[in-house]
Amino acid sequence: MIMLAGIYYGAKYGGSTTSILLNVPGESASVATCIDGYQMARNGRAGAALGIAAIASFIAGTVGVLGLMLIAPPLARMSLAFSSPEYFALMALGLAMVVLLGGDSMVKALLATLVGLWLAGIGTDLFSQTSRFTFGRMELLSGIDFVVVAIGVFAIGEVLANMHERGGAPAIAVPKGLRNLLPTRQDLKDSRFAFANGSLVGFFIGVLPGAGSTIASFISYGIEKAVSRHPEKFGQGVVEGVAAPEGANNAETGGALIPMLTLGIPGSSTTAVLLAALVLWGFKPGPLFIPENPAMFWGLVASMYLGNVMLLVLNLPLVPVFAQVLRAPTYVLYPLVLGISVVGVYSTSSSLFDVWLLAGFGLGGYLMRKLDYPSAPLILGLVLGGAMERALRQSLMMSDGSLSILVARPVSAVMLSLALLILLVPLFGKFNAWRLKALK
Amino acid sequence: MKKHLLFALLVGSSTAFAQSFTPTRPIELVVHTGPGGGSDVLARAMVIMLEKEKLLPVRAQVANKPGGGGVVAAAYLAEKKGETHTIGIFTGVWLTNPLTSNEAKVSLKDLTPIARLLLEPAVIAVKADAPYKTLADFVNAAKQKPGELKQSGGSITSRDNVVRQQLQKATGTRWQFISFPGGGERIAALLGGHVNMMVIEPNEAGEHIRAGNMRVLAQVNETRLSAFPNVPTLKEAGFNVTPVPQVRGVVAPPGIPRENVAYWEGVFSKLSQTESWKKYVADNQFENAYQGAAELTKFYEEFTGQMRGILQEAGVKTVR
Repeated sequence: MIMLAGIYYGAKYGGSTTSILLNVPGESASVATCIDGYQMARNGRAGAALGIAAIASFIAGTVGVLGLMLIAPPLARMSLAFSSPEYFALMALGLAMVVLLGGDSMVKALLATLVGLWLAGIGTDLFSQTSRFTFGRMELLSGIDFVVVAIGVFAIGEVLANMHERGGAPAIAVPKGLRNLLPTRQDLKDSRFAFANGSLVGFFIGVLPGAGSTIASFISYGIEKAVSRHPEKFGQGVVEGVAAPEGANNAETGGALIPMLTLGIPGSSTTAVLLAALVLWGFKPGPLFIPENPAMFWGLVASMYLGNVMLLVLNLPLVPVFAQVLRAPTYVLYPLVLGISVVGVYSTSSSLFDVWLLAGFGLGGYLMRKLDYPSAPLILGLVLGGAMERALRQSLMMSDGSLSILVARPVSAVMLSLALLILLVPLFGKFNAWRLKALK
Repeated sequence: MKKHLLFALLVGSSTAFAQSFTPTRPIELVVHTGPGGGSDVLARAMVIMLEKEKLLPVRAQVANKPGGGGVVAAAYLAEKKGETHTIGIFTGVWLTNPLTSNEAKVSLKDLTPIARLLLEPAVIAVKADAPYKTLADFVNAAKQKPGELKQSGGSITSRDNVVRQQLQKATGTRWQFISFPGGGERIAALLGGHVNMMVIEPNEAGEHIRAGNMRVLAQVNETRLSAFPNVPTLKEAGFNVTPVPQVRGVVAPPGIPRENVAYWEGVFSKLSQTESWKKYVADNQFENAYQGAAELTKFYEEFTGQMRGILQEAGVKTVR
């Protein structure tokens, strides 16, 4: 059990390494890390990005465990107050982040989001059991796996675009000297707020069964960008853009264990596996698990502390080593990335169909780069689309078809207004620019 | 041509082996869920029990073939035509999917039936502070406010909805059914007071009842479960509803030799009588329901016919 929890943890951190170095998101929650992490690597700051990711993971992981330890039961009860309307509002808030993620052209960002939402709709509809856009393929009945799209669009698209642009030139410059491979004091200072933001957002979203770490990482990235003094630099490689989502991703671990351990409700597929492991071991996860098995619970907490420390201890010294990967010439590096991508996709589903999909999305990602479409909004649409649609339809079933349920409940009303506010941000920017011009 | 050759080879080899079949390679045990899903947990427990009770001379390995709610796993088995070292664990959805989905071309009827192993009963639960003390209370409340009470559950073809359809038909009432993809979300919706009722596996409900968060109104089963001696079955509660069983069992690829079928039947018939299996069944509040291949085929027909009728009444479009 403790080993499983350790793997769960380790994988969460491991995902960030390939995201930063190779633009290969190992799991969905690392996609937000790719955005700035990989850009940092391209700017020759791979070491700093990896270091910050490790530190952010450590801090946020610790916050997550502390939260689990101190406020688990009351928080679990609070999480029950969240239902479909609140989830819809949360997803809407997440989707509103598109206006922050989009590059220069808002139209292109929105188009990419729509494609993502469409992809999310593929598969069997839960409510009516109808197949949508499956083109008669049984492989599409359960929808398109998020990881396939993310790896295709990010990793393969990037490799193709780079090969086109640069031919055989070394991909990325890696500075010499150990000092240049670790985060600077300035980096740490810049990430202070991001550490806190990532930890808290990740933890609280983790507590909600049915939200998940991907949403947590995107929302904390969005918040980070929204409050930043230099939002225009996000997407070009800023440390905060790595620290916030990585932190959120790891704090989510502690949060997600709360409904599982206190209510017996798994919040994600990974916690479902942990739950099944507990059952196999003869435990009965449920509301009485902690009071009746204190040794097991505290053992788990202790192991998570240890795991956190180990991650930091193991990873920080390895950062310079990992960063050396980028010294490899492109004719070594790129086939490696393609290989890792294909193996990664095949190993999750053992389906060749998914490998073809990967190739298709790789080509799509390449075209998006060539035509200057941002890929993050597509991914966001895909991640949130399914859950958002379900939450909306559940809400409407609860209210017998009346949309008022979304605004009549305070939590969802607040989140929806926040989403609206974020959507208006670009307009304010435009208005400001116009006003300044007029003043002159 | 190739197929004929393969068939000839199979026939040849099967006569050569005559009555006996003994596995010589590791067995592949196909399940349609990812790690942690219902069939996966059962399969992994089965692997341990088969080993412990020395019922298999070789190892068995679980192969997860998730996708399309069983469709991918069924198709995988169908492709393995004649393969003697692969078996799979099926559930009722393997029969229901082909009814509603054009893409689900492989039904259980296209595979070789081996054995039915388990029936999984369910209970009808409400939140502990709900005003309904009996199922009749709930139905009466639903009658007063038609369409206003809510039930959380899985997809529209799931057992949850089947029970609802049967109860609605028997009582002439109507309430909402809200689909949630994960079991956890269904429970959270009930405990959070966002829905009024749910159909839940007894084992899942057990801990919530013990903690005083949930109350069980009736059991969706023919007889009372040992863990709920004081809770009436649907019939005892006065509702003339014959529960559609939630079933799990074993199938093999099509076109395997007869002695291979007999071998597997033997293994699982023996397994179902072992102490470790009985303990597993009791621990999980399942029902030991072994049936051999011949009876299982009959069960298919009954189940499919019953489901088709229920789904059509529920307004689900059936394609077969």
